[in-house]
Amino acid sequence: MASKESAPLVHSEWLQFAPLIILLPMIAFAVILFLGRVFNGHPFWKKNLKEGGLIALPVMAASLILSLLLISEFLKGNSGVDQIFEQIAWVNTGVWGGGSNIESVSLGFGIYVDHVTVMLLFVASFLCLLINIFSIGYMNTDPINDNRNHRFYAEFVLFCSGMLGMVLADSFLWLFIFWEIMGLCSYLLIGFYYERPSAASAAKKAFLTTRIGDVFLMIGLVMLWDLFGSLDYAVVFATENIDAVAANSAGTLQWALGLMFIGAVGKSAQFPLHVWLPDAMEGPTPVSALIHAATMVNAGLYLVARMFPFFGAESLHGDLDDLAFIIAAIGGITAVMAAAIAFVQMDLKKVLAYSTMSQLAYIFTGLGCAMYLANTLDWHHDDDAHYIVIVAFGAALFHLFNHAMAKGMLFMASGSVIHEVHHAHHHLHHHDDHGDGHGDEHHDDHDDEHFDAQSMENMGGLASKMPITATAMLVGSASIMGLPLIGGFWSKEGIIANAWRVAQDDPRFLLPAMCVLLGAAMTGFYMSRMWFKTFAGKPNNEVAAHVGPTNTWIKTPLFILTFVTLSSIIFAGMGFTHWASDTEYSFLSEKNLLEGILYEMKHAFANSDPFFFILTYIAIFMGAIIGPGLAMALYGGKLAEGEEAKPWMRPIIALSAWVNKRFHFDNTAIRESTLATALENRLYIDEYYDKAMINIVAGFSNKVAETDAEVIDGTVKAIESGSQSLSTIVRSMTTGSARDYILMIAVGTLAIFLLIWGVA
Amino acid sequence: MSNITTVEAFGDGFISALFPELMLFAGLLLLIIVPNLGKGTFRIPGTQIRLPWLLGGTRFKFTSDPRLPAWIASVTLGGAFLNVIYVFSQGLERVVIVSESGKELLLVNGFSRVFEMIFFGALALAAFSSMNRLQVKGIGSRVSEHELYNNRRQADFYILMVTCALGMSVVALAQDLFVLFIGLELASFSTYVLVAFLKESKVGVESGMKYFIVGSVASGVGLYGLSMLYLWAGSLQFSVLSAAFAESGTTALPLIGIGFVLVGFGFKVSAAPFHFAAPDAYAGAISPVAGVLATASKAMGMLGLVRMLLIVAAPESSEGSAVWLACLGAMAAITMTWGNLAALGSDNPKRMLAYSSVAHAGYMLAALTAVGAWNWDATISGDAGAAAVAVMTALLFHLVVLVAFKLGAFLVLSVLESEGGASRLSSLGGLAKREPLLAVAMFIFMISLAGVPPMAGFLSKLLVIMGIVRIAVGDMGAEIADGGVFVLADMHWVWWLAFLMVINSAISVFYYLRVVVVMFFDEPEEGREGPLPSGWQVRLAILACVLTTVFVGLAGDSLIRICEMAAQSLNYGW
Repeated sequence: MASKESAPLVHSEWLQFAPLIILLPMIAFAVILFLGRVFNGHPFWKKNLKEGGLIALPVMAASLILSLLLISEFLKGNSGVDQIFEQIAWVNTGVWGGGSNIESVSLGFGIYVDHVTVMLLFVASFLCLLINIFSIGYMNTDPINDNRNHRFYAEFVLFCSGMLGMVLADSFLWLFIFWEIMGLCSYLLIGFYYERPSAASAAKKAFLTTRIGDVFLMIGLVMLWDLFGSLDYAVVFATENIDAVAANSAGTLQWALGLMFIGAVGKSAQFPLHVWLPDAMEGPTPVSALIHAATMVNAGLYLVARMFPFFGAESLHGDLDDLAFIIAAIGGITAVMAAAIAFVQMDLKKVLAYSTMSQLAYIFTGLGCAMYLANTLDWHHDDDAHYIVIVAFGAALFHLFNHAMAKGMLFMASGSVIHEVHHAHHHLHHHDDHGDGHGDEHHDDHDDEHFDAQSMENMGGLASKMPITATAMLVGSASIMGLPLIGGFWSKEGIIANAWRVAQDDPRFLLPAMCVLLGAAMTGFYMSRMWFKTFAGKPNNEVAAHVGPTNTWIKTPLFILTFVTLSSIIFAGMGFTHWASDTEYSFLSEKNLLEGILYEMKHAFANSDPFFFILTYIAIFMGAIIGPGLAMALYGGKLAEGEEAKPWMRPIIALSAWVNKRFHFDNTAIRESTLATALENRLYIDEYYDKAMINIVAGFSNKVAETDAEVIDGTVKAIESGSQSLSTIVRSMTTGSARDYILMIAVGTLAIFLLIWGVA
Repeated sequence: MSNITTVEAFGDGFISALFPELMLFAGLLLLIIVPNLGKGTFRIPGTQIRLPWLLGGTRFKFTSDPRLPAWIASVTLGGAFLNVIYVFSQGLERVVIVSESGKELLLVNGFSRVFEMIFFGALALAAFSSMNRLQVKGIGSRVSEHELYNNRRQADFYILMVTCALGMSVVALAQDLFVLFIGLELASFSTYVLVAFLKESKVGVESGMKYFIVGSVASGVGLYGLSMLYLWAGSLQFSVLSAAFAESGTTALPLIGIGFVLVGFGFKVSAAPFHFAAPDAYAGAISPVAGVLATASKAMGMLGLVRMLLIVAAPESSEGSAVWLACLGAMAAITMTWGNLAALGSDNPKRMLAYSSVAHAGYMLAALTAVGAWNWDATISGDAGAAAVAVMTALLFHLVVLVAFKLGAFLVLSVLESEGGASRLSSLGGLAKREPLLAVAMFIFMISLAGVPPMAGFLSKLLVIMGIVRIAVGDMGAEIADGGVFVLADMHWVWWLAFLMVINSAISVFYYLRVVVVMFFDEPEEGREGPLPSGWQVRLAILACVLTTVFVGLAGDSLIRICEMAAQSLNYGW
């Protein structure tokens, strides 16, 4: 059994406020819910407090500020300090311990800060704040949400609190608790429009699918507890404890981690537990942004990243490579599968949903490769190997960062588009009703119930009408695609390179390596397709032609995120990939910014190793030329007459129009092929699951229910009626007559006398 | 023990050692004198001169206030309780009070202090919460507050409360059979009268009478046992008896004596088959008194059993177990099962609580049996001895926390009683709508009684069960740790008591939760809608019980430590 002494305890100024990062949103949850119930519909509450939106906003801002202070303190003091750690005893319960006296078992909550925490803490708190700003513009202007936005904001802040808590928690137990809080909130928010059957069932689907993963996670945690006697990071990551476990039960540890990984697969929507994510688009758009960028799906990645110390442990050298392969392979498969399905999606948000799945898969592949490297290379003693491991792990984390920023932006931008399309439709519809009869021919298509504001069929040519949104979408897409120099490029290249590096060592990894390379081209295609279909070309119908610009609440976060995504090179130049994964490389101390950027450029574009040099250009060629080129050929086009896009978008639209004219081909045959149909049906995976559920699980459940009703309930009822009649007999002995009582005393005395006499 | 101070009766240190008892004594005098103060005068014979005499005559305004005795008793008992708490916070002194001839009369140590805490706490709560609530016309009568005020027998009631506390604490301190018996009877007689206090109601008098008769028989048998012990050892001193037992305890006379003593205290803890009068008494008495019977009086019975069984007739060696073990084990098993079965079908909440308290007595007897399974002197029996201390701690802890939730449940019933009776389950109907806070309090008491975490009742039950299992495993623990083979049959048979306890706990959940169901889902009885009669005292007392139940359940370690210290002082301090 492990002792709990190995944690370096560092007390610092801002650390004592760290629990507030979690607590403030949690308190806000109760406050908003309560005030919302009391003041529902009150004009002050609606106008001035935005139904709780302006209560959530300062709280999330405070969380962000506290997070930033904590992060800066960590980064400042990071030379030599591995983690900041503090524990607050929460519940102390005396129980009998192994010795003769009472031992106190305490369930404490502590804050654990290391490089992974810092990165995710920033991502979560920063994006939560921006999404909060966006929500005020998005939710409060839609009359469908009137008088129930307080529910949204309350669940929103609880969700954020769950994510922040999970990131800051100091043990797998607390991680699991916050993980489940997130699960609950995702259920509540996806089903926000619970009056719609589709939303209600999507919420259930999300909850139940992730729940399957959670069960495995729980089993994994129990196994881990069995191995270490604790779930505290301080204990399980202590070298001597890992050594002790490695000596006897490395295989069991691999199983435990593998089961925990299944939990991550569910949470991060990887094959085969990915089915909930596209359906989760039933929630309001800010929820999609929250789930896809800031919180939920990152939780699974965080859990896997948390396992890194096991893979990196010297004593477990070579013991966990199978699990690392599984992680990478699941990533690779999902990356290609999700990208393929994204090809045929017409729904703007669903394209993004599959793109999330695919990009998370990249990160999993990156993590899997990094873990393989850490597990098989002698990185504790060999400086070169150490560098390779650190950069591989850092690349995966950097992609998490880039993807979160880009995807948060893309979702908010798509929300902005949907919001405005919806408005335009309402506006138009309103005119139709009072119009001169022209409206009738649109009426059937554009009826409120049938009109789909999320379908790209109802968009097109919006680049000139929504310049900020279009720009944000462009930058976000470029980042996801990995166009050179923008956002995700820096991290995606690293992931691809590392996958191939591992594949050179271990041929099994050729699968994920091929997948991520192919995925790059596919990403290029579906992201470009989405952008061109939405923003380039002529408006597809009258609604799209009437879309107007959006409000400031929505624009602000788009604006900020565009800059963050564009400045990814600066993060890369500051050595993000190094210090995000290992604090031995300290923040901004090795090279100055310019040197760093030059180094990254050289590393990316003029790699000295010919293999990686060629690989880089293949990846760039596939992701930045083939994919977008195909999309342009199919969907590019000029804007309508008289519409002008902003200067930075003009060349792109012009290029797309040229490519479209020059290379356009008829893709009807492909679109009607079996594969395309299969993709539209999500490869029938959902159907297979449904069938399996109905035939196997439901059948089994029915049998169990029958058994429960007849055998178990029957037994219980029999016991109940039996004990009731026994009770009647027993109570009837209390006759009420003192004479009988004394008789019983006499009987008892005699019995005692006999018993003592007999024994003695 | 080296650090025991010996003090002669009325010698130096007497007052500080017995301060709580002396407080009670002073309170008793005040209760007798103060309500009788008036403008009475005394005429010097043969003259017309009248001297102010202060007794009798027209009462002063404050002495004629019917609430005065309640306040005096509450303050006295509460003060004594706080004094004990203060003593704990200051660190304990062990004081033995001896007679002139050097015989030990009273012993003040951690063990007796814990029991003082139980007694004074329970009685202070009961006294405080029955202020303004003494029915004049019997249970179930609707009376005005004015009538309640003007109950002239208030003084009698509270005098009995205080004498009861005094008698109980004498039992806690006694080191001599004679002193023990005096204390026992002082407390018992007070409770007999308290049960029958509602002379206006038929049921009160009848149950009081029955309780008195059956109790007298049990006391008589017990006294007979005590006299046999005296006859055998020639001394009333515990120390002498204990030494004699260790030497030749298996002869007929002392064994019969101990068996008879078991009967006497078995009645007090309401162990089967001596419990029959208890449900009648609880149902007939007003609820705070029933609560006292279920907590303080039961603790006194357990205390007597601990003294007699563990101190006098202690297990004699490291291998052997006590002679009374099988007997007590059987009694525990029957008691807990009987109590639970009877409670299952009981429609009267007070009777249900009475049977549940029989079941709890069974649990405590099981713990006591486990202690007797080994010689619990750790210097002799090693690990098992430590386990015995552990289970003794659990027993004490259970007795302490029982005051919070069992008395609390009775206090909730007492609020209902002052409005129109609480003799049917349906009288609790719709309590959640009528008084949500009371319903929540009752809910907490019920789940605590059932042993649901995180309430105090869970912790105490858990500690008892774990303690019993540890004793049953005994010295095998070390063997198992070394990789020895573990066979169930190797465990001491007290293991089965823990097993039975778990089953019984499961059964008990049914009837505890039935109360909750009635409170939260049923409609109020006809004519009983709307809020209950006011009375902040009883509500304050209930609040204190709720807070204790929850707080001890969440953070009970300081209380556990006090109990552990008490258990050790019983063991080593002897």
